[in-house]
Amino acid sequence: MLSPEAKKKLAALLGPRGYLDRPEDLSLYEYDGSVDKARPEMVVFPRSTEDVVAIVKIAREHGVPLVGRGAGTGLSGGAIPRAGGITVGFARMNRILEIDLENERAVVQPGVVNLDITLAVQARNYFYAPDPSSQRACTIGGNVAENAGGPHTLAYGVTTNHVLGLEFVLPDGGLHNTGGKEGDLPGYDLTGLLTGSEGTLALVTKVIVRLMRQPEMVKTILAIYNAAEDCGRTVAEITARAITPVAVEMLDGVMLRMVEEATHAGFPMDAAAVLLIELEGLREAVEEQVEQIREVCQECRAREFRVARSAEERELLWKGRKNAFGAVGRVSPSYYVQDGVVPRTQIAPTLGVIGKVGEKYGLTISNIFHAGDGNLHPIILFDTHRPGDLEKAKNAGEEILRHCIDVGGSITGEHGVGMEKNELMDRLFSSDSLDMIRNFKLLFDPENRLNPGKVLPTGKGCLEIRQFALTGAAPIY
Amino acid sequence: MSETALTPGTPEELAAGLGEAASRRQTITLGGRFSKNRMGGPVAASDVTVSTAGLTRVLTYEPRDLTISVEAGMPWIEFSRLLAANRQMVPLDPPFADLATVGGVLASNSSGPRRRLHGAARDVVIGMKFATLEGKLVQSGGMVVKNVAGLDMGKLLIGSFGTLAALAVVNFKLLPAPEVRRHFVLAFDTAEAAGAAVRAIRQSVLQPASLDLLNPPAAKRLGLDGYVVSVEAGGNPSVIERYERELKQIGPLTVAAIPLQEFTRNFLEEHAGGAVVRISATLSQAPEVVGRLTVPVVARAGSGVCYAHFAGAEAAAETVRGPWIAIMEFAPEALKATLDLWPSPGGDLELMRRIKRMLDPHHLLNRGRLYRHI
Repeated sequence: MLSPEAKKKLAALLGPRGYLDRPEDLSLYEYDGSVDKARPEMVVFPRSTEDVVAIVKIAREHGVPLVGRGAGTGLSGGAIPRAGGITVGFARMNRILEIDLENERAVVQPGVVNLDITLAVQARNYFYAPDPSSQRACTIGGNVAENAGGPHTLAYGVTTNHVLGLEFVLPDGGLHNTGGKEGDLPGYDLTGLLTGSEGTLALVTKVIVRLMRQPEMVKTILAIYNAAEDCGRTVAEITARAITPVAVEMLDGVMLRMVEEATHAGFPMDAAAVLLIELEGLREAVEEQVEQIREVCQECRAREFRVARSAEERELLWKGRKNAFGAVGRVSPSYYVQDGVVPRTQIAPTLGVIGKVGEKYGLTISNIFHAGDGNLHPIILFDTHRPGDLEKAKNAGEEILRHCIDVGGSITGEHGVGMEKNELMDRLFSSDSLDMIRNFKLLFDPENRLNPGKVLPTGKGCLEIRQFALTGAAPIY
Repeated sequence: MSETALTPGTPEELAAGLGEAASRRQTITLGGRFSKNRMGGPVAASDVTVSTAGLTRVLTYEPRDLTISVEAGMPWIEFSRLLAANRQMVPLDPPFADLATVGGVLASNSSGPRRRLHGAARDVVIGMKFATLEGKLVQSGGMVVKNVAGLDMGKLLIGSFGTLAALAVVNFKLLPAPEVRRHFVLAFDTAEAAGAAVRAIRQSVLQPASLDLLNPPAAKRLGLDGYVVSVEAGGNPSVIERYERELKQIGPLTVAAIPLQEFTRNFLEEHAGGAVVRISATLSQAPEVVGRLTVPVVARAGSGVCYAHFAGAEAAAETVRGPWIAIMEFAPEALKATLDLWPSPGGDLELMRRIKRMLDPHHLLNRGRLYRHI
């Protein structure tokens, strides 16, 4: 419980416009892009690192939990204050502090929107590579917390490959710096440990990212299929022939129709699946690879092969892909996005499994994949007003993830474990491995006040309880 | 090094061996084939020596998945050969490649010229299993290229010099080998001209795999004159032709591969008392480092890491103190215990020590191996 005294201190620190505490305002911060909900007791908006330190110290003094929040676009409940307490909204720490093209770096505050970094440097031919679909809204702080991916991570890697240094505040109020603009700083890679720690170890207040030189040529291909298996075979064949696209996205028929109705991007309404393939690099490399991919697609029975002829056409195809979740919202009252990963050779069989899971639960499941790296996003459509539907959707999602684990994959490629998948963690990791994660959590956050109830299983139904109690300051383990 | 030597044959045996030694409070020297004893902090005397060199199996390799899982003691050269037979690669290009193990390459965070395009160990490892002093095997990551399940604990072991735990199994993501690889050399009279060439290449649309800059003393060791820029390109034949055309515009060009991967090792083999300072420079500082130092310097000009080679440890000790962020990466074994190998650690050293204490509360494992600070 947040005491009136603690509230008063926070209000005095941040001023009347620096926090929210009325129930109608707090209700806007009880959810993110996932299906779970929990309401914070107060939302605070620091404007500086000093504000964050002061907030963390007040929270410490009063034994209150803290959860960091960027834009709330996360898909695993990472920003949901499961144990109540204070939500630290980073919306006002949204300045790009430095652009250093000579060194291919930018230094940004955590509330900077992902796409804004690229927008700030694209006129000078640079870009920031990780490109989650929510990049027009999601923030770098959230990207670092979840180690966000995106379509182009196939070639360029995920957030952790592009973050070189962090400034962060530990739950004891201590301010730390690690990494830097330089390469290969000696010592343990704390930046690598904190990136993807889902806001459970530290609150990040500054991020040093890598900027990359824009490629000379970009070609975007749409390959259209009458059978989804042919699509899967094409992906396997592209890998087998050592062709290296920067993105290979797959949309199935259900997804296509929803996307096309929403965006009019030019996707066919009657196809079973399409591949959206992008190639980047030197003209000589891209031109040759377009032809190689044309051959593969033809051999794998694509019925049509289109290369976008202009930047506008390319934009439109990507708009369709990146607004896919929004398109789903138009036709289904609720949907549940999954985030499994399978080895690349398992893509086609996994499609079959997902189809069967949909039939079993009587739910429509549409598919949109980062097919090039085996990262699947089955989207399960359901209606919260129909009794039992949410449960069915969650069970269907879990069944798909169990399949991913069984074939050697993972339960999350880029969305995070959060409070959505923590109960599945013991299927993926041994108890020794989970204990080690817990040890790290305890080392950084001994009172379990930072984003409690995430990542580790709560041990429901088991004798051993690995997760900490949500409410008290003392961890149970 | 010590009276008892263990060479476990499985990850489980490795964990058990570490657990037993630790439970008896025995100090442990941990390594693979110990090819890099001149690197890092001194190898202290210990009660037990544990080598991962007996862990040499390939656990999973499906080339069509572009992933591989191998045990940490696998010789790097065998690992590279296996991948090359399938036209695939993990382009870390570590020094001591013919002696090193996969685990040793990671523990020392070794890398080479092609890191400009492909990154260092942290960018190519997708999962690992490590054995702790509690005798347990812990997994981080997995066998798929995109995976954010659980904490990325594996990152900490890369570059940890075996001070936290023992690498048992490493999973990598793989890249297809390029159709053609070609090396180009450009030579310049001044550091400024060479620096400008490096900058022009970095800011161009070319995406070379490597971009190295050598000062005249380093170039001379390879039979070349002046400030030398070395570029490796990969791709189809028309891509390679394009590189040749574009690079000709930048400076006087020859098509030649110079042996950069083992430059440091060759130097150390010639200089028994030699030392190598690794300077973590920014990209814009790298040409300045090359221009200012008078000993042989090889700069990974695409990533900012510079290696300065000294015939004696005394001069190295002066350079490592500044003005750049630096460590003495290689030093004569006999002198290491008294040299300041890492004069200015960052403010995050205390957090690193907390992690060390959590995993090794009695300070048993590879004491001082992390440049004498951990």
